[in-house]
Amino acid sequence: MNAVLANQKASSDALVQVRGLRTRLGAKTIFDGLDLDVARGSITAIMGPSGTGKTTLLRHLTGQLRPDAGSVIVDGEEVTQLSRRALFGLRERIGFLFQNSALLTDFSVFENVAFPLRQHARLPEELLRDIVLTKLQAVGLRGAAQLMPAELSGGMARRVALARAIVFDPMLILYDEPFVGLDPIALNQVLRLIKTLNKTLGITSILVAHELAAIRQVAGRVYLIANGKLVAQGAPDELAHQDSPWTRQFFGGEADGPVPFHYPAPDYATELGFAERAP
Amino acid sequence: MNANLRRNWLLQGIASVGDCGLFFVAVLGALPKSLRYWRETCRQVWFVGAMSLVIVMTCGLFIGMVLALQLYYTLSIFGGTSALGTVIALSLFRELGPVVTALLVAGRAGTAVTAEIGLMRATDQLDAMGMMAVDPLAYVASPRFLAGVIAMPLLACVFNAMGIFGGHLVGVTWLGLDNGTFWGNMTSTVSLQRDILDGLYKSMVFGGVVSLIAVFQGYTAPPTSEGVAYSTTRTVVFSSIVILAFDFVMTAFLT
Repeated sequence: MNAVLANQKASSDALVQVRGLRTRLGAKTIFDGLDLDVARGSITAIMGPSGTGKTTLLRHLTGQLRPDAGSVIVDGEEVTQLSRRALFGLRERIGFLFQNSALLTDFSVFENVAFPLRQHARLPEELLRDIVLTKLQAVGLRGAAQLMPAELSGGMARRVALARAIVFDPMLILYDEPFVGLDPIALNQVLRLIKTLNKTLGITSILVAHELAAIRQVAGRVYLIANGKLVAQGAPDELAHQDSPWTRQFFGGEADGPVPFHYPAPDYATELGFAERAP
Repeated sequence: MNANLRRNWLLQGIASVGDCGLFFVAVLGALPKSLRYWRETCRQVWFVGAMSLVIVMTCGLFIGMVLALQLYYTLSIFGGTSALGTVIALSLFRELGPVVTALLVAGRAGTAVTAEIGLMRATDQLDAMGMMAVDPLAYVASPRFLAGVIAMPLLACVFNAMGIFGGHLVGVTWLGLDNGTFWGNMTSTVSLQRDILDGLYKSMVFGGVVSLIAVFQGYTAPPTSEGVAYSTTRTVVFSSIVILAFDFVMTAFLT
């Protein structure tokens, strides 16, 4: 009984709980026993070197990809065990911002943002229009409502995708690289929007991003993932000054450290043929 | 090495036929849910059907005209040119209408469906739908499959009509056959059940086969330019082979 109560308490505090996550994609080990918690109502950033599996982690959280082992609990539900129907039920409460926006190219900006509402909520057309225009206003693109995705710049497409991700006021929003391609003005507005959503509606946010300055402004906690494991965690400022080889290299942007800059390759001089030519 | 390679190709081939079979079951399973998206199905019927009308009508007309010329020559050897209308109609209803229409639709609409879904996959649109709790099988795959089954027999009817019109144009207007003989012999010999409906059953099956292959190839296309290009080619190649193979089997059972 105590264990049940303890579990309930844990799940009410942590919206997302990942335990012992193991994933292999082909011959590559992506996660090798990853554990992390994301508190309800928090803004959490996930950082790490390229190719370390940050996007894969987001896909695990939403059940788009099943891990080889481990547990992923979101809002008290074990994502790895959910049926398709239950998974879709969970996804209705999650907003997901894709790295490449993933707008539906057959639909206008307005219809893209309206798409989730049209599928899951039977709203009068006027109310639907008002909700969509409110979300587009929040990302500064109300005037672009009738444009087609092909007519948008990369940054604009990302903002439309953001409007679509928040149209349902979900409990959890997963942002995959939300700041890429945004000019400083749009970046500031998007940061403000993420903070506002968090403060006013209590929406939990998980950001996968590399922009440390932006993350410092919004995130309460940062997880640094490398080599399939969690290597550091803490508040952004705390982490930037932490004395570990991982944080030193990552936040200092150094080529040398535990994360190799170079993809494994034979000796440079040998490959260029200098070794043979040397006297 | 070569033997290994051949065995791998064979195994891969068998595996992909199995995958396509499982995909077919999944598409059928998603059909009830896809009825919610009937607008999307209508849009696809318009795309596969109405947008293919020009090519189907043109080809139907010319095939009818060529049939009339060739058959007039052959029948004149036996002194049976009065049967021209009947023979043209039977060839079209029973065989050429369903088969040629299916080959044309595979080339025109099948490739477009594969490329469209392949690009949707490559640009994460299918994943995005899944993330918005909309099943891409029900929203994208099933309506396109259903559209093929609905549009193909309709297109085959148009093809047959144009073929008979072309045959009439050549046989009666040009070669001077009697109009009454042309129509009279045709209407008295051609049977609705045995000839016309059997042709339409074939057409429906071809519609299902072509759209299933097109959707499956798009769904499983590797998310690269080359991957989508290969899948599009495979749609035409596999559709053509399967249409002709099914045609033989169905003709054997239906006659």
